[in-house]
Amino acid sequence: MLSAWRQMTPQERRGAKTGYLALSPWMVGFVIFYAFPILATFYFSLTQWTLVDPPVWIGLDNYVRMFTRDPLFISSLKATTLFVALSLPLKLVLGLMLALLLNLKIPGMNLFRTVFFIPAVISGVAVSLMWIWFLQPDTGVVNTLLSYIGVRGPYWFWDLNWALPSVAIMSIWKVGGAAIIYLAGLQNIPAHLYEAAEIDGAGKWRRFWRITLPLLTPTLFFQLIIELIDAFKIFTEAFVITKGGPLKATYFFLYYFYEEAFRNFNMGYASALALFLLVVIMGCTVFVYRTSGRWVFYEN
Amino acid sequence: MRTDDRALSIQQQLRRSAAQRRRRRLVGHALVYALMIFLALLFMLPIFWMASTSLKAPREIFAWPPEWIPSSPQWGNYAEAFGKYPLARYMLNSAILVVANIVGGLVSVPIIAYGFARFEFPFKHVLFLLMLSTMMVPGHIKLIPMFWLYQKLGLIGTYWPLILPAYFGNPFFIFLMTQFIRTIPRELDDAARIDGAGSWGILFRIIIPLCRPALTVVVVFTFVWVWNDFLEPIIFLRDWDSYPISVGLAFFQGRYSVEWHLFMGATLVSILPILVIYFFAQRHLIGGLASIGIKG
Amino acid sequence: MKYRFTKKAVLLVTLLLLLLASVGGAAAQDPVTITWWTLASAESPEPAIRAVVEAFEAEHPDIKIDVTIMAESAYGDLMNTALGAGEGAPDIAYFWETPWLPHTLDITAHLEADPDLSRDDYFEEYFNNWAVWDGKVVGLPFTVGANFVMYNKDVFDDAGVDYPTADWTPWDYIEIAKALTDPDKRRWGGDRPRGPFRAIWRNIGATKPYSDDSATVDGYINGPDSVAAYTWLWDLVDSGATPTPADIEVLGTEGTGPVDLFIAGRLGMATLNNGHMITAANAGVNFGVVPEPHVPENERFVHAWALRASIWAGTEHPDEAYEFLSFWAGPEGQRINMEIGALMPSLPSVLADYPDAESDYFQGFMGVLNATQTAEWRASHPCWRGAVIRSVSDAWDLIMLGEIERDEVQATLDALVEPAQAALEECVPRLGG
Repeated sequence: MLSAWRQMTPQERRGAKTGYLALSPWMVGFVIFYAFPILATFYFSLTQWTLVDPPVWIGLDNYVRMFTRDPLFISSLKATTLFVALSLPLKLVLGLMLALLLNLKIPGMNLFRTVFFIPAVISGVAVSLMWIWFLQPDTGVVNTLLSYIGVRGPYWFWDLNWALPSVAIMSIWKVGGAAIIYLAGLQNIPAHLYEAAEIDGAGKWRRFWRITLPLLTPTLFFQLIIELIDAFKIFTEAFVITKGGPLKATYFFLYYFYEEAFRNFNMGYASALALFLLVVIMGCTVFVYRTSGRWVFYEN
Repeated sequence: MRTDDRALSIQQQLRRSAAQRRRRRLVGHALVYALMIFLALLFMLPIFWMASTSLKAPREIFAWPPEWIPSSPQWGNYAEAFGKYPLARYMLNSAILVVANIVGGLVSVPIIAYGFARFEFPFKHVLFLLMLSTMMVPGHIKLIPMFWLYQKLGLIGTYWPLILPAYFGNPFFIFLMTQFIRTIPRELDDAARIDGAGSWGILFRIIIPLCRPALTVVVVFTFVWVWNDFLEPIIFLRDWDSYPISVGLAFFQGRYSVEWHLFMGATLVSILPILVIYFFAQRHLIGGLASIGIKG
Repeated sequence: MKYRFTKKAVLLVTLLLLLLASVGGAAAQDPVTITWWTLASAESPEPAIRAVVEAFEAEHPDIKIDVTIMAESAYGDLMNTALGAGEGAPDIAYFWETPWLPHTLDITAHLEADPDLSRDDYFEEYFNNWAVWDGKVVGLPFTVGANFVMYNKDVFDDAGVDYPTADWTPWDYIEIAKALTDPDKRRWGGDRPRGPFRAIWRNIGATKPYSDDSATVDGYINGPDSVAAYTWLWDLVDSGATPTPADIEVLGTEGTGPVDLFIAGRLGMATLNNGHMITAANAGVNFGVVPEPHVPENERFVHAWALRASIWAGTEHPDEAYEFLSFWAGPEGQRINMEIGALMPSLPSVLADYPDAESDYFQGFMGVLNATQTAEWRASHPCWRGAVIRSVSDAWDLIMLGEIERDEVQATLDALVEPAQAALEECVPRLGG
């Protein structure tokens, strides 16, 4: 750092100083709100800690257990991975389709945009409870509607095969949030490109593949990372609705963490789990970032 | 003559095709509307069910077959919910937290983003990645250490733990604002510099006024996140008069039963402010989010 | 090696403290302010809590009560966080989790010296199970709660079935449930238990999921009595006379019970509690109360609970805290809660004045208050609830979902011995028992 500093001209140094000064609030915040709790979590992960008694140093035992003899770790990893694999592509594709619709220039679109955005902004326990009702097999809305057309609907959250898809449906319902970001990306695409393509006789489909999609890849890239992080953090649905069941079908990683930390008084192990999740999310993000050069196109 | 004829027929053709195009567009519009309305109804179905439940008498809620529209809507349920629980108070508390967080975001984010967007310094790239990576930290990880720290500082039971972080910059907003500032031509900076403005003068006189769309994103998203935050208020607050609405709603789940009709109504009321804010801000919002796609 | 979190972390954050120290100057406090965390509910609503505090402060002008009323969903996390951080726990709270118990103040001497209150004033089972731990008095039982079967008399009359009596067996329960079930009316005869090793499990004879010395699960979770209990559950599920887990989950709250379904007349019998009982009575349901069924030669157990109101061991004012604790969980506090709310006091002399005490259903309820409680063993075995039951929940799910055959119960339970044993061995060194 010092050598880099010495090579700078006085003017560059002044700029750098201003830059650091501008960043200083974030740096302080980083130390307090991120570095400190993560370091503390790392320390806890090397201990056995019941939360209510002082932590006892046990070295790497928690990690050894996690990787060698914990069937629940495997279950929770499996449920979470399945959820990410199911909901992430669906949300990306459906979000884009919705955004294309919302991008049409027809009167009243503002209202529609608000309507689709509503699910993305309401959250919390009430929404989860509402979904319990909504997908309730007996009196729930969906199965009642299905019964009108003579279909016996599944047990949704309480069905071995439907529990995970049900949670995915809940998250897809919130696709409006993603659509808004795509919408912003769509509106960024210069109109003259479309006009030029139209003159060349390109059809709508062709224009989508040759112009819209390539120019939207930066937005897609951002969205992919945000949704990836979000999907890995799935928790509330399991916490309020399924309790991880049936047969661990929705035993998501953060739910396992929560149970260990706050229900089973196993904070040391829970800390190891949490750090593992952090590493997985970072790993996936770095992977996506690395591959982005091949499929993300920037204008000019 | 012949050329005139041809010109005429081309004109006719053009007119006809224009009419055709208009008709096709009309049909297209009608199809789009039909699709949009269908989708909107589908998306609103859960909300509609909440609204319907909020107007039912307790005994009707579990009746079978279910009633789509209650035969005698119990509008009194709303009055009962507001009378039984201090919902207005909770919403006011939420509003206080929202405003304090928004101010924090508006103060801190442009300054930090300005640093990232406009200045060169050693380790800038690393710091930017570090900043982005903090988005990945699950909130649960931080609970115990932060509780311990706030307890030491005597801040438990106050709003400070729920407000302070906003003043140190949220990584998502910093990223967004950095991207946005990069779209502002540097020539504007240079022009202001020639007029004698310093680095901070440029920020406050040139950059911030042009950042309005991105600042709208900060306002709206902060509003939504703070309004919905559940975990942190529960851990860091003490007095139930100080709870925000997100936590206040939890009181509807009693030890032995849920007052579903009141709960659903209160939830609906609690999301109204978000909808109002969003409806009016959405045009700027989309402009503010547009910079996400530019090269970082 | 033992490291104390506080010391380590102090080193870590000294700098931060220096940065932010100016914000957190703690003001000197009135020496006799007692902090107290409590819950509000229909039984003990906020006005009742305020009234108790007011009455107490009028009697004790030298003690001030700083009360915090919380949502139940937040209470556990808060206690964990406060006790975990070793800071900021209140002088008085409900210590309902077993791992919290070491952090309670031993009030045996206080109670013995108390001229106005003694352990004999409480229901014996409740006092022994909820106030005593490790041979010490660690709190006072506030209110009483118990599970029992509520039956809807209108549904029984409609189906022409006799009301159940206290000597019924688990197999009677299935037969009656079948007779009450009417698919056309979307009506089920009875509900299902909400977890294994609760009262009905014990009434069948399957006492515990693992041995008393916490050493082995083999022969316990897969022993003949446990197989009998799980097979009984299999028969109940197979009878079609009970709602599915989906119905129970949506209609009950946090697994406490399908009272809404019961009130709507769509469930003939349900294992509910006294909170539900009041809800049903207020809704005008015509119902009766019987204890959970049991096998005649076995001892009868009841799943029961009280709120263990305790003093935090870290309190600076143990005497003043005891003054308030004994007021809140003693006759005065519980009576005020009963009169303003609908609390059922844990003191027989006060409960006798309950407004509905003479009613038919209430008499049925009184019948379970002196039965042996399932809590005794569980309180000394904290690994019971979390680690071990979680590892055997697969068997429960499989039966509930109808995924296995009747003769596969034994094999299913045998297959769970290994993970359950591993969970037990992991948990016991940590939580003990």
